[in-house]
Amino acid sequence: MPVPMTDEADPRLLARALPWWRRFRPPRRLSFTREGRIIVILSVGVGFAAINTGNNLLYLLLGWLLSFIIASGILSEMTLKRLSVDRRPPPRVFAGEPFLMEVVIRNDKRARASFSIEVEDLMGRAPLDKRCYFLKIPAGKSQRTSYRHTFVRRGLYTLTGYRIATKFPFALFRKSRDVLAPLEVLVVPARVAVPRPVPRTEVRGELTASRTGRRGEFFGLREHRAGDDRRDVHWRSSARSGRLLVREYEDEHARRVVIGVDNALPDAVRDAVTDGALTPVVEAVVAAAERAISVAASLAAVYLEAGWTVELCARDCHVPAGAGRMHEVRIARALALLPYVSDQAPFAVLPPRVESVLVVPRTVAAAGRPGASTVMNV
Amino acid sequence: MRFAAAHKVASYLMVGFAYVALIAGGGVSPLIALGGSVALVASWWWEPPLIRLERWSLLWTIGSLLALGYSVMTAAVSADFLGVGAEFLVWLIVAKAFNRRAARDWQQMYLLAFLMLVAGSVLNPDLTYGLCFLGFVIASTWALTLFHLRREMEDNLLVKHAADRAPERVEVRRILDSRRIVNGRFFLGTGALSFGVFVSSALVFLALPRVGIGFFVKGRGGLSLVGFTDGVKLGGHGVIKNDATVVMRVEIAGRYGGRDAPGIHWRGVAFDHYEHGQWSRMATAPRTLQTLEESPARDRRFLLWDGPAQPSGEIDRLETELVKQSIWLEPLDSDALFGATAPRIVEYAHTVRPRKQPLEHNDEIRLDHGATVHYTVWSELQPPPPEVLRAAAGKLPAGYEAYLQLPREITRRTRDLARQITAGLTTEYDKAEAIKAWLIKNLGYTLVLAEPGTQEPVDFFLFDRKKGHCEYFASAFAILARAVAIPTRQVNGFLGGEWNEYQGYVAVRAGDAHSWDEVYFPGPGGGWVTFDPTPPGDIDELGRGGAGWTARLGRMLDTLRFQWNKWVIEYDLASQLALFKQVGGAFQSAATAVKQGALRMKDAARDHWPVPVTMAVLIVLALTLRRRRRRGVHAPVSRPRRRERSPIAQIYDEVARLLARSGVPRDAAVTPRELALRMAARGDPAASQVGELTELYYTAEWGRRSDPAAEQRAQALAHEIRTTLHAAHRAPR
Repeated sequence: MPVPMTDEADPRLLARALPWWRRFRPPRRLSFTREGRIIVILSVGVGFAAINTGNNLLYLLLGWLLSFIIASGILSEMTLKRLSVDRRPPPRVFAGEPFLMEVVIRNDKRARASFSIEVEDLMGRAPLDKRCYFLKIPAGKSQRTSYRHTFVRRGLYTLTGYRIATKFPFALFRKSRDVLAPLEVLVVPARVAVPRPVPRTEVRGELTASRTGRRGEFFGLREHRAGDDRRDVHWRSSARSGRLLVREYEDEHARRVVIGVDNALPDAVRDAVTDGALTPVVEAVVAAAERAISVAASLAAVYLEAGWTVELCARDCHVPAGAGRMHEVRIARALALLPYVSDQAPFAVLPPRVESVLVVPRTVAAAGRPGASTVMNV
Repeated sequence: MRFAAAHKVASYLMVGFAYVALIAGGGVSPLIALGGSVALVASWWWEPPLIRLERWSLLWTIGSLLALGYSVMTAAVSADFLGVGAEFLVWLIVAKAFNRRAARDWQQMYLLAFLMLVAGSVLNPDLTYGLCFLGFVIASTWALTLFHLRREMEDNLLVKHAADRAPERVEVRRILDSRRIVNGRFFLGTGALSFGVFVSSALVFLALPRVGIGFFVKGRGGLSLVGFTDGVKLGGHGVIKNDATVVMRVEIAGRYGGRDAPGIHWRGVAFDHYEHGQWSRMATAPRTLQTLEESPARDRRFLLWDGPAQPSGEIDRLETELVKQSIWLEPLDSDALFGATAPRIVEYAHTVRPRKQPLEHNDEIRLDHGATVHYTVWSELQPPPPEVLRAAAGKLPAGYEAYLQLPREITRRTRDLARQITAGLTTEYDKAEAIKAWLIKNLGYTLVLAEPGTQEPVDFFLFDRKKGHCEYFASAFAILARAVAIPTRQVNGFLGGEWNEYQGYVAVRAGDAHSWDEVYFPGPGGGWVTFDPTPPGDIDELGRGGAGWTARLGRMLDTLRFQWNKWVIEYDLASQLALFKQVGGAFQSAATAVKQGALRMKDAARDHWPVPVTMAVLIVLALTLRRRRRRGVHAPVSRPRRRERSPIAQIYDEVARLLARSGVPRDAAVTPRELALRMAARGDPAASQVGELTELYYTAEWGRRSDPAAEQRAQALAHEIRTTLHAAHRAPR
């Protein structure tokens, strides 16, 4: 269901997800494996035979079976002790695209290695479908691996924590420990191939690009390129790094474009999404709206890549004009969290003398859309 | 060791120990046991790439079906389900060992090994089972741990991810050949775990309540040993072999034990009737008179012999006066229980009580037992003094005429000899002593038998052969005594035994079987008295066995076997209660000792208070030092200590707060140098001072340089920045 996940950002979600009486459960979970069930059945059988026959050797076997289970519990506890996990998502995660989550596990025990450890990320109370396995983590060492996962929808996901589990030493049961360690993963709208529309505005569009404008906000340093103004060279940093570096400013006038995206949905559709009553019609409408948001994000990336200054407008959402990579992140974040609203929500008027592109979902009719130099029905 | 090799070795050890535990008891026919052993060893090499297992699978399936059919038929015919089942288990484990393909096959081998151990618990209650069990515990810990790791790496999750390509499986064979995963520390750690499991098993074993009702106990059947027999038949020829099998172990009070202690007569069965060279007990013989006390844990019998019944309190008092023996008796062909010389009280666990008490005569004690039985006997070891016995006179109790029975075939010269030996003697005691002395003096001891033919055996022994073994001596004594009207009966049992110095008990062997007599003295002060007419030169003391290293090693092994029987095989509710009582007592005495020690320490501390105070200070000091040292040693593991901020960094922090208040905050993602650059680019007030301060900050905080001049300069810059910002704030916009 394509609904942004912003409501899962509460760090105490894991605790809150449990009813009050289950919060008193011990911090470990135990689930028997097939071998564990066999051992329990054998124990019951041997115990019955021992009592029935009074054969002390059967009592001895029963003692071994019970000790085996006890030792398994103690050893698995020792294995899980003093393990810490660090998860590192990639800088940007796109909806619908697989990404690698790096998982680093550290064994802080001084002398004992930990064997056969599984690590799973938790979303709410449920684990993700992927888990990482570590065969041996020597004492005082750390190991890393990664798992591949795909978030199909944009939004802010909160991985509430992680679960460390082990079946060591005898695979009689799987003992696990849930650790509350919230990690936010922002999933930006999916990337789609979209061409940059031909500029329609002459006054403030391409033609203004050559105009020398007032310097905007300092953005950062970059390597010198042919044609850069010598006054922009940052000598101190260049001397330190040994490369010629120039200051970069956010240019508010040159090659500016305003991208608008209509995030209005009919009330009935929004209600259906909220209630989870998804019909094929509702899903089609929502998919169109999501497509529009993806197109807007991709368009912004294309413009910014070409060196344009981009401003984002939507209902109840506005990202001021800016350029460069940082601005792309700002726009992607805004679009990742863009909520669906009513068409009563105001839409900022797109400036008439600046190049503007309005992306609207093809199948969604909404009032209050502003005029734009280019309108993309997607 | 390579991982795969370690797993295979551990698994084969586990199966091997279970296999030996099964076959060592003799429940599996020797041929099958030997064949199984050879096949198991051969299966070690029966695996890919040497063998293509799938080619042989049909053959093994057919073989298994045939084995199943044969087992079902044999079980139906012989009704020995356990033995046949054990043999079928041997086939299954061999078949599985030859078909090791996947993890599932290893798992099934482990299950079969456990079932063999279960079957062995019934078929092999010997010490070998205990040793195999110990090996099984250690090997199974290794095998199951390694199996778990192997399956995890084979089945699941060893997947290498990369951003630019699809996930790929890590080569399992490489890990299986790795020597890094399973090293000496691994085996040491899991070995320690095995030891823990073993100790824990022992504790659980001791603690589990013994409420067994023994419905399906399979007895081992009696041992047919050379020596003791529940009947005596004189005659025959050949050589009596000396059987060294231990049939009975007896813990007895220290003063009766030791390598120099005299031999004790362990009385078992007694006979009243002699005819045609054969001793037997008649149905009309006097019954064993006794009283029985039952309790939930134990049964206690009090043997009256020829005396009156005693109240329970009197029996309790007697217990303290008599000689106590704890006896572990192996199953024999006879159900007789043994006890020293004159057993008076016999006590055994309630669980071994037979459903139907057998008829007992001649003061015998009988208890049906198919396995090793543990019981306690209190006996009267010392006979009354000779003068009391000489003075004893009275009427024979009813039925005691049976002990005067003489068959017609006893020759005249035998009867004459009796009269001749006892001529001139007036008391029964003197007559009996005279007969005993005559036999010892005039006849010799031999284990080589001679055939008497049609001659009456006692007559043949006394007048022709003139040498024989204990049964001849005892029979001759009884016949001669009866010939002069002394009530006598022949007794069979064991004499002496070997004192085990390691554990303090007497090991009685089958070769210690012996015959002697009991003579009855009627009247007050009388009773049944033991007379052993066999020449004493042939009777060993408890020091038999010698002191050589082989003998001592043998005794050490027997100690293990005895402990095994005592603490495992014969551990019952009564033993459990006694153990708990003992442990409770130990705790109580320890608590008392601690309490008393604490009181003493308290008194000492009050009198010499500087000593404990100094000790406490020293302990605290030592702990602190140790903690510091450990921190030093484990510095890379312990958490990094918080960095101490340099004075310039503190000045910079103050300026940063000032800037934030003035509307120039530094975001978390912005470095101090970036902030300074931005301020310079914007032309913010005090930008140049901030830039200079930032560089000083970097040098001091990250270059770890301490420079008093730089600190002074930083303070001056901070002052300038504060003044400039203040002025800018007050200036009109």
